[in-house]
Amino acid sequence: MTNRERFIKTLKCEPIGGQVPTFELVFFLTMEAFGKVHPSQRYYSQWNQMSYAEKSLHMNEMAQLYIDTAKKYGHSAIFVHPNPGDLEHIQWLLELIREKSGNEYFIMMHGDPTWGIPDGQTMMDFSIQMYEEPEKLNEESAKRVENALETARKLDERGHLLDGFALCSDYCFNVNPFFSEDAFDELIVPYLKEVIAEYRKMGYYSIKHTDGNIMPILKQMADCKPDAIHSLDPQGGVSLPEVRKIVGPDIALAGNVNCGLLQTGTDEECRTDVLRSLREGMENGRGYIFCTSNCAYTGLQLNRYEMMIEIWKEYGNYDRMKF
Amino acid sequence: MGILLEISENLQRGKAKNVKELVQQAVDEQIPAEEILEKGLLAGMNIVGEKFKNNQVFVPEVLMAARAMNVGAALLKPLLAQGDNVSKGKVCIGTVKGDLHDIGKNLVKMMMEGKGLEVIDLGTDVPAQTYVETAIKENCQIICCSALLTTTMPVMGEVVRAAEKAGIRDQVKIMVGGAPVTESFCQQIGADVYTSDAASAADAAVELCKAAC
Ligand code: B12
Repeated sequence: MTNRERFIKTLKCEPIGGQVPTFELVFFLTMEAFGKVHPSQRYYSQWNQMSYAEKSLHMNEMAQLYIDTAKKYGHSAIFVHPNPGDLEHIQWLLELIREKSGNEYFIMMHGDPTWGIPDGQTMMDFSIQMYEEPEKLNEESAKRVENALETARKLDERGHLLDGFALCSDYCFNVNPFFSEDAFDELIVPYLKEVIAEYRKMGYYSIKHTDGNIMPILKQMADCKPDAIHSLDPQGGVSLPEVRKIVGPDIALAGNVNCGLLQTGTDEECRTDVLRSLREGMENGRGYIFCTSNCAYTGLQLNRYEMMIEIWKEYGNYDRMKF
Repeated sequence: MGILLEISENLQRGKAKNVKELVQQAVDEQIPAEEILEKGLLAGMNIVGEKFKNNQVFVPEVLMAARAMNVGAALLKPLLAQGDNVSKGKVCIGTVKGDLHDIGKNLVKMMMEGKGLEVIDLGTDVPAQTYVETAIKENCQIICCSALLTTTMPVMGEVVRAAEKAGIRDQVKIMVGGAPVTESFCQQIGADVYTSDAASAADAAVELCKAAC
């Protein structure tokens, strides 16, 4: 089986045996790992001025960097941050990755039209709208869903090189969700449900990400039927077995290695946490993707990430469970 | 229902327009401004704070209530200024250098204002020296530091040292908070008070100010 096949079977919650699949939503530490700036951190101010040859060199180099990251850390999936981000360049990047690595990896990118926690500047205005003009927010949501689906459709028509979308709008703080259950029902659920269903009709998988304490809205999220729920952050008090109880056995679970601890804990604390996560995740024998509870973000020590991967190599195998 | 109770309840539901009208009505009925503030607006905000602390309401509800409070308080301000109403204490607050997370800091500020404290907001990315300079210039009883990143928490220790160096450590209390901050960290850096949520932060600040007066 290719990595892509293992990842897809896991999203379908089918047993795969062998190594538990892993990936990172974003692996920002490319400078330390490969001496290269992460594609999302690049600013190509003169892109349009570049000759085709120069653009092509940049595109090839980015595609290769994604593949090298996956290879080096045993990732089964690649999350792309197309840069530039217009359709033409998304397609170009996907073609290059497929050209270089065939169907080895599952490829995904951002695709969440639902509202997330607004930033500090707009939070007050957004909250007022939530209560006083929810219909305006919903009108906007409908448009955003249509735009997301339009992109998905165009990529589908151009060869369907992308496997799925990561829906990355954050709904929750560590203590609580931003949206109360009622607000979530009114403002998020209909659109989340629709976009996931439409992606599925086109053959795309959906991984719903949000960090923080998702427990109060977890059931609602699960009812929107994503293929996987991602991040399951212990910093937000989220526990894998508790989540499993609520969402049932047919939605894959991804994440849960405490990324805050990876940054601040001792080696021993991190090791214990990684092992706990693997043990709890593998318990069902299927439907589990190993990764951090957010991403390998800027500021995380690379050796900590590498330690986590070493433990996964040793213990993250269904055929020789050591727990 | 008494009008003050009505103000409190509308405030809790974030109905700024109703609060404004009701406060005006209460003023017209000759209810003293202090009483409208205390038993209407601040009473309502207190309840919101408690509910937030107990996870019964979330951030947007707190923001809506705070907006309603500000609208009502603005109406009362000129009347309060006429009387001998003095603020219960003065606080400066900011998110520490290198850190741009301000949602929690803003909630703490709102809750403190809801308790009748005067709060100077230094914004985000605030260097240690700025807290201390502001406390001296504005005569603050409390410095409040917020941090959400483990990498920026040490700046809080710098604030404590800067206050010592400026010779004001015995005149000013230093409060610290933000998701990664803990009681033991607070003690370790020699700050005075840590609380895990905004409502408790406001309660603690009021106590500190009382003790200082
Ligand atoms: C919103 C958010 C952002 C927004 C901030 C917008 C804004 N204007 O604030 C944006 C997108 C800009 C952002 C950026 C980053 N973020 Co951020 N962010 C968050 C998020 C989702 C929510 C934080 C929040 O507002 N919580 C809600 C408030 C209400 O809680 P609070 O601040 O803790 O406040 C409460 C109490 O602590 C207390 N309190 C707060 N202050 C004070 C002060 C005193 C004196 C007292 C007594 C009490 C008190 O009262 C409050 C209310 O009860 C968290 C993850 C999460 N799900 O919680 C990550 C998180 C904090 N961010 C994180 C990171 C890593 C970053 C970035 C470095 C990401 C990057 N790679 O660039 C950047 C850093 C930018 C910078 N230099 O600051 C990590 C921090 C990890 C760590 N342990 O250090 C977190 C935990 C995400 C994660 N799961 O890994 N982020």
